[in-house]
Amino acid sequence: MDITLLKFTAVFYILATGSFIVYVFYLRDSMSRLSPLILFLGFLIHTAALGLHFFQSGYAGVNELREAVSFYNWLMVAVYLLIQLKYRLTVLGAIIAPLAFLMTLAGFAFGESSGELPPGLRTYWLPLHVTLAFLGNAVFALAFGVSLIYLLQERQLKHKRMSALMKLFPSLEALDRLNYILLVWGFPLMTLGILTGSMWAGIHWGNYWSWDPRQISSGIAWLFYGTLLHGRITAGLRGRKAALLTMVGFVVVIGYFLWGDSIFPSRHAGRFE
Amino acid sequence: MNKEIVIVGMNHRSAPIEVRESVAFENAYIRDALGRLSAYPSIQESVILSTCNRVEVVAVASDHLSAFEEIKTFFAAQRAHRNRDDLAELAEHIYSYHGADAVRHLFRVAASLDSMVVGEPQILGQLKDYYQAAQRTGTVSAILHRLFHRSFSVAKRVRTETGIASRVVSVSSVAVELAKRIFDRFDDKTVMLIGAGKMGDLMARHLQSNGVQSLMVTNRTFERAVELAGGIHGSPILYEDFPHYLKMADLVIGCTGSPEILVDVGMVEKVLKERKQKAMFFIDIGDRRNFDPKINELDNVYIYNIDDLKNVAEENLQERSTEAERAEGIVLEEVQNFTRWISSLEQVPTITALKQRFEEIRRKEMEKSLSGGLRDLSESQKKALEDMTAAIINKMLHDPISHLKRSSDDDQEATLYIAALKRLFGLEKK
Repeated sequence: MDITLLKFTAVFYILATGSFIVYVFYLRDSMSRLSPLILFLGFLIHTAALGLHFFQSGYAGVNELREAVSFYNWLMVAVYLLIQLKYRLTVLGAIIAPLAFLMTLAGFAFGESSGELPPGLRTYWLPLHVTLAFLGNAVFALAFGVSLIYLLQERQLKHKRMSALMKLFPSLEALDRLNYILLVWGFPLMTLGILTGSMWAGIHWGNYWSWDPRQISSGIAWLFYGTLLHGRITAGLRGRKAALLTMVGFVVVIGYFLWGDSIFPSRHAGRFE
Repeated sequence: MNKEIVIVGMNHRSAPIEVRESVAFENAYIRDALGRLSAYPSIQESVILSTCNRVEVVAVASDHLSAFEEIKTFFAAQRAHRNRDDLAELAEHIYSYHGADAVRHLFRVAASLDSMVVGEPQILGQLKDYYQAAQRTGTVSAILHRLFHRSFSVAKRVRTETGIASRVVSVSSVAVELAKRIFDRFDDKTVMLIGAGKMGDLMARHLQSNGVQSLMVTNRTFERAVELAGGIHGSPILYEDFPHYLKMADLVIGCTGSPEILVDVGMVEKVLKERKQKAMFFIDIGDRRNFDPKINELDNVYIYNIDDLKNVAEENLQERSTEAERAEGIVLEEVQNFTRWISSLEQVPTITALKQRFEEIRRKEMEKSLSGGLRDLSESQKKALEDMTAAIINKMLHDPISHLKRSSDDDQEATLYIAALKRLFGLEKK
């Protein structure tokens, strides 16, 4: 992967972070347009880096951890920019921009790319499965951010304090609705991610479900989010509890994504025979 | 002629209301008053401001000391008009500013930094009205025109760059502001008003003006509920029935004056289940508590009583003062820009006058010499002499003039130099 382009991406993401922070803490209105724009520029460079990698190597870079992190990061920023376009939730950028920056940095830390795709992975299933699974997860990352803002806002209202920061936050009703919308989008994507993975496994390895640790963890996460969605639709699960559960679910999923494979060896960890 | 900006007047801090009233100008007579004011010899341009919190004259004058006296006499005349003629009492309540201080004062007034409620937005509109009145009367010219327009844009800058105007401070607007933090929109929300207290009625109206359409009103005496509901287009409900209707209400306002708890935790818990946990906002606005404060411990329910609302208002007030400090910084910056412009106005005429004065001396001396001892010079020699004397003057004036031009960055220094030049070379005699 092109390191120079990724370095530029990181620079823009940290600039966007600074700009969002100025917006949130100094309430500068001018920053509400500038900050997403800087993030968008970083996103364009990021896109170029991923595109270049694709054309040079001929496959989408999602195999090794650094590639996967970078691709996931890219999807997350894309989803945020879409939300920003539709809901003008600039304050959410103050959570996403630093996250995007840290994930770009993390990409550097995971070592050099080999530039070689193992033969077992040279199939269209790889980009399809990974894109769907990651996209679902990126939507949950945004739901995490929205939930965090919800909890901050809720806390201030319960403690009867009205800070200047709150002026930037949308109403609890709007945040809760957005959280629900993200869940409604994220859950089917996650489902499709698991289904394509299972079908791929079935075609290549002969069995659809092999109780691989990654499959188990995905299954648990799927059940968790499914229950959450079900609760929201039928049982009036909303507000603070829904926000808390959304955050817990995401932390577990992302934690497993980053470190799970080193604890429980899995076929996902690049061990493809 | 010299031009100085002066402000003489009084505000809510410097003078008690009786004194301000005694010199206030009614809108209908502003034109007359401006006419009388311009008759004073040193007043060149003028605007009168007269609001409930301040009476001020903003003027351009040839000399600030005589302008101060003249405007005070003008105020005294206004007061005498109302049969009060003790000028001494008036004098202790009046402040007078000139130069940069006057500019700063006007900018602060426009930016609502000098208001009783700092950040309140009305003053800017009033300022514009009084400026326009003066403009129509014809007592405004280049300097006040620029000064007032500058003050309007300073006010705008302060408004957009600081949070000074954004913090609500009245109890009922704090409640609406909080409701907006909870609910995204009001047109699909229902309000229940329990009790006939005045604050409750006010609160309900405030919510209606923010979009609430559905309103239930209940009171122990049903007739009173019907009467109240009629005034605010709500539907009256029987007092005994209100717990059944509670599940429909998103905002509940309690204002009964009764000392008992009308809504307790168990009741709200049950209602929430029926509402599928949809958020509720309880506003306990009466003197006595009608809602159990423990309701706050339930999820998706928020309750504020009158003290909570007052506390938030108080916090907002404090936050305004830190924002006000930032606003003062903006004002100072703008004052510097403005005084720079003013001193550049004075500079050009001073430089021209200085050149003219030197040229005059040269011409006189040349004439004297050419008709005296140097009578026999040839034309080309006369020409050379002419050039030489002109060159001497230019060389001599070069440093002082370029220094003066450069000094315009520092208002005080520029004023000092201009005054010195005028004195030293007798530029003001004509």
